[in-house]
Amino acid sequence: MDRSRAVLALVALAAFALLPFAAGPFWMGLATQMLIFGLLALSTDLLLGHAGLFSLCHASFFAVSAYTVAILQVRYGAPTALAAPAGLLVGTLLAAVFGLAVRTRGVYFILVTLALGYVVWGVAHRWSSFTGGDNGVTNVPFPAVGPFRIETHTGYYYLVLAVIAACALAYRALVRSPFGLALRGIKASESRMRSLGYRTGLHLYAAFVLSGAIASLAGVLYVYYNRFVNPVSASFPVSVEAVLMAIVGGTGTVLGPFLGSAIILGLRNWVSSFFELYAAVLGIVFIATVLWAPDGIMGLARRLRERAGVAPA
Amino acid sequence: MTSAILQAINGISLAALLFLLASGFTLSFGLMRVVNMAHGAYYLLGGYIGLSVARATGSFAAALVAGGLAVVVLGLAVDRFLLRRTGENHLAQVLLTVGVAFVIGDVALRIWGGDFLKVPVPVSLRGAMELPGGLVYPTYRVALILLGTVVGALLWILYRKTQIGAVVRAGVDDREQVAATGINVDRLFVMVSALASFLAGMAGVAGGAFLTLYPGAEWEILVYALVVVIVGGLGSLGGAMIGALVVGLLDAYGRWLLPEFSYFVLFAPMALLLLVRPRGIAGKDA
Repeated sequence: MDRSRAVLALVALAAFALLPFAAGPFWMGLATQMLIFGLLALSTDLLLGHAGLFSLCHASFFAVSAYTVAILQVRYGAPTALAAPAGLLVGTLLAAVFGLAVRTRGVYFILVTLALGYVVWGVAHRWSSFTGGDNGVTNVPFPAVGPFRIETHTGYYYLVLAVIAACALAYRALVRSPFGLALRGIKASESRMRSLGYRTGLHLYAAFVLSGAIASLAGVLYVYYNRFVNPVSASFPVSVEAVLMAIVGGTGTVLGPFLGSAIILGLRNWVSSFFELYAAVLGIVFIATVLWAPDGIMGLARRLRERAGVAPA
Repeated sequence: MTSAILQAINGISLAALLFLLASGFTLSFGLMRVVNMAHGAYYLLGGYIGLSVARATGSFAAALVAGGLAVVVLGLAVDRFLLRRTGENHLAQVLLTVGVAFVIGDVALRIWGGDFLKVPVPVSLRGAMELPGGLVYPTYRVALILLGTVVGALLWILYRKTQIGAVVRAGVDDREQVAATGINVDRLFVMVSALASFLAGMAGVAGGAFLTLYPGAEWEILVYALVVVIVGGLGSLGGAMIGALVVGLLDAYGRWLLPEFSYFVLFAPMALLLLVRPRGIAGKDA
């Protein structure tokens, strides 16, 4: 079972690695976005799929790190070697503040994170002297560290692919570590974990900050791809769409969020090419997922495999 | 000093509006354990329908009622055909109602367009009036405060002094027990849900006359209502009143004193609350 998944991951990686030889710039751009938003979805899934917390503020970390990079590079002329780590750091620090939300559970957690995320959008939107308001910050250059310069979209695509492959491996190790298992335990029964002596609040806080760090990394990757950032990146739809991606793909897995990101972004590009009401279609995807595929594609696949295993032909 | 008082009145009039929206949200959560993220979209849709009715008939009262009733029909359909299938899974409810809100928002955008639209205010409520103490203040906002107070008082009487209210309160505390005493809980749910939808739709018309209606307004107003609910405590009507005043006043003073950070002002009460009292002022441990 595990081998088939490893093969699947390798095939996917090979397909992504060979893509630039087969696809034009449009598809390359789409593939880069799928990877980046897949990483954002993965970050929300560390909380949702492993710790059982439904966060609606991850666009904040994503956007704040993107803004940090953009402002440092464009306005202060800082090099990538400084701007990128700074973006990661500032996004993670914000997560350390918003991590207060883990004092709440269930519905309160959902509402509090939604409201916190909205505050960040509001600041990006209103504080126009610093953030550029609705126009945002434009003309972000390609990343360049010392002699290493990325000068093409294909080059950047490979960079993103490499970073994300490394992240996915590290994430896999994380969720299988004692810490990851403790999170699963908290998701299943927090009171039992607490009575076993685990500091559940601290575990959830650490998971929140880690998850915010991953979202910040996605933000850094995004701003160098998109070359500009505006308040839309911090908006509620980005947060909730990331969670939807994780659910559509399958929560609690590593590949699921990337699969979900590919499906949702693919659907967006396909639908918007002939139909104006894309947001309504997305809304219907939300509703259909809840009603018919709450475990996502990975869940469907598992169910099919189990059925095949139980009743051999 | 005068402007400080004017800001206070601004804050109270926003509070009146937020209370209309938050009271429905908090009651449907308290009784039915339903988190309805489409509440903001209900507000926007009610406002748009009220706008069309006001333009067609010229009557603001008709607009208020039509906006409210249209949303009641929609809200009952969403409850009956969608929300009921999620049981008590809050994650599913949130995703589902966010989906509903996306659909409503997008369809409304196609019908009413992307401009800032204002529900026409009746002539008698236009202009400004002089308040005691020589303050000059927009008449409409004063009327809104009155509307909020009247609705708040009616809800309070309904909730505290009538048999229906007693049953609802009992349902908030222990639904199974209420059902076991032979009360038709389903009918109670339909009534509370209809009331919540009506208030949201009516709030859309009332709010559309001074905050204007535009795509995205549904999330903005929803977040304000959610902060009201978080501050006040989920499921508590009294909490919603206090929360609405806190949020309304903070927002008004925030916009006045720190225009670039007015949204940030909302962060303060939440952060404080999370540190001190994660369940809100009147929230119960559940």
